[in-house]
Amino acid sequence: MKRRKISITNVLVFVASVLWLLPLLIIFLNSFKPYNDMMQHFLALPKSWNLDMYFETWSKFNFPTLIMNTLLYTVVSVIGIMILAPMAAYKLARTKSKLSTLCFVVIIMPMMVPFQSYMITLTRLVSKVGLIGTKTGYILVTIGLLMPLAVYMIHGFVKNVPIELEECAKIDGAGKLRIYFLIVFPLLKPILTTVIVLDALATWNDIITNQLIVGSNAAAMNLQNALYMQFSAQTSDWEHALPGIVMSMIPSLIFFIVMQKNIVGGVTAGAIKG
Amino acid sequence: MKRKKLKDFLIFAMFVFPAVAFVLFATDIPFFMNLYYSFFNWNGVSRDMAFVGFDNFIKIFSNDGLFWKSVQFTLKYAVFYVVIVNAIAFVIALVLSKEKKSSSVVRAFYYVPYIISLTAIGLIWKFILGPGFGALYDMTGWEFFDWSWLGTGKLAFIVVVVMTVWQNVGFYMVNYIAGIVTIPKELLEAAQIDGATRFQTVWKITVPLIMPSISICMLTALTFAFKLFDVIMVFTKGGPANATMSVAYNIYQEAFVNGKYGLATAKSLVFVAFVLVVTVIQLRVTKGKEVEA
Repeated sequence: MKRRKISITNVLVFVASVLWLLPLLIIFLNSFKPYNDMMQHFLALPKSWNLDMYFETWSKFNFPTLIMNTLLYTVVSVIGIMILAPMAAYKLARTKSKLSTLCFVVIIMPMMVPFQSYMITLTRLVSKVGLIGTKTGYILVTIGLLMPLAVYMIHGFVKNVPIELEECAKIDGAGKLRIYFLIVFPLLKPILTTVIVLDALATWNDIITNQLIVGSNAAAMNLQNALYMQFSAQTSDWEHALPGIVMSMIPSLIFFIVMQKNIVGGVTAGAIKG
Repeated sequence: MKRKKLKDFLIFAMFVFPAVAFVLFATDIPFFMNLYYSFFNWNGVSRDMAFVGFDNFIKIFSNDGLFWKSVQFTLKYAVFYVVIVNAIAFVIALVLSKEKKSSSVVRAFYYVPYIISLTAIGLIWKFILGPGFGALYDMTGWEFFDWSWLGTGKLAFIVVVVMTVWQNVGFYMVNYIAGIVTIPKELLEAAQIDGATRFQTVWKITVPLIMPSISICMLTALTFAFKLFDVIMVFTKGGPANATMSVAYNIYQEAFVNGKYGLATAKSLVFVAFVLVVTVIQLRVTKGKEVEA
């Protein structure tokens, strides 16, 4: 009797998970159809799996540039975070001084303040220093915006790393830089993986920051922003929009599949510890 | 001795200051610029800015119907979103934390919408609600598919709730699973031996023990709801007839569409104060309920 009850809920949860994917599946199937077929055979399999519309969208909307831009932003931002955030988090966790506390507060304060409340003045500041509409400006801002959470999560992790290891190395005569790079940094691997996953996805999928900082400078737009600009105005162009959406999702999906263990198990590691 | 202190400071500076500089540039300085601009009447472009004291704030509280309408929408949305997303995620997590074999694939299914960009999400739902529902109506003749889902205020509200729940449920599910797997098996077995029903076990044992997870999920859901912006921007643009105008989108519009920069910054300060107050209250409430196993 009891087992039966459990299995009904189970079945529901399993069936619903397929429903969860249904919107994506529908988009995928319809991306191969001409518009008339979308309307007349909405739920059917496409008549042929030809990729013509994919190729057309690829060249018409300048996908190579967009993908290169987005890839550049993602890689540079993540590398920037990987260099700066653990250094700061480590030093802040190990130093007890007023200056250290102050720096920590300055770094994590933005976590309490919604981005929307200062995005207007952020745009203003970026244009004042002459970086509005540039790739550099966008990358600097992205790193700055990702930094607080990254430092906060790594900081929480460092506190649980035993300090004895560093003391041993110190006695053996290792300098501070060596201790950090050779001993501490490798120990941070689990939390750094989590941060990489979070930040890479956030940068790849970003649309608001790109729109604010890069604006309508087509040469510096990222993939999501360009697709948004292109298709939100004239949504009737589904024959190009659907292949575009599918192509924009493929990298995130591949990344997700590769990193799946870290994502479904790891995203919360830092959050819970905090 | 002095030299050692200087050296320590230099090393500290080398490790910490670059990160601080980035954060200052992208967040702290803009935030404090906000404080400054909120006392001016300014359109964001022209050279002349008139100092108006607290006028902007007075305007918000006395004469800004749309802003308060957006507050109302945001609060209503927050209630629906927080309750629904947490309830669904909790039930899924309960089931999936028990099933070892098949669950990782199912977990991934629920999580996938969370990693997709808002541009794609917005377009996907526009496609389904537009041409998709049109096609389904022709096929089935059901009224349901013919309703104007994005053209009626109430329906658009439902769409926004459903869409955001669909997109984010995976994140909360992962959090709940992380909490549930830490519960010692003996406690659940003891409850079963004592003849507790399944519901009682969940309510009296699981829930109190995963309060930290619940607390985090509630807080995340609440702040997400209050900050609701991107979805509105790519999807409804606050329409129809401002029925889905969220506070954050109202601020954005005030600055970038209406060109009332000073007023918009003042509004964003009111918004920050509001979010902070609710966050603190919420943390107090859930922290008070935490127990140890």
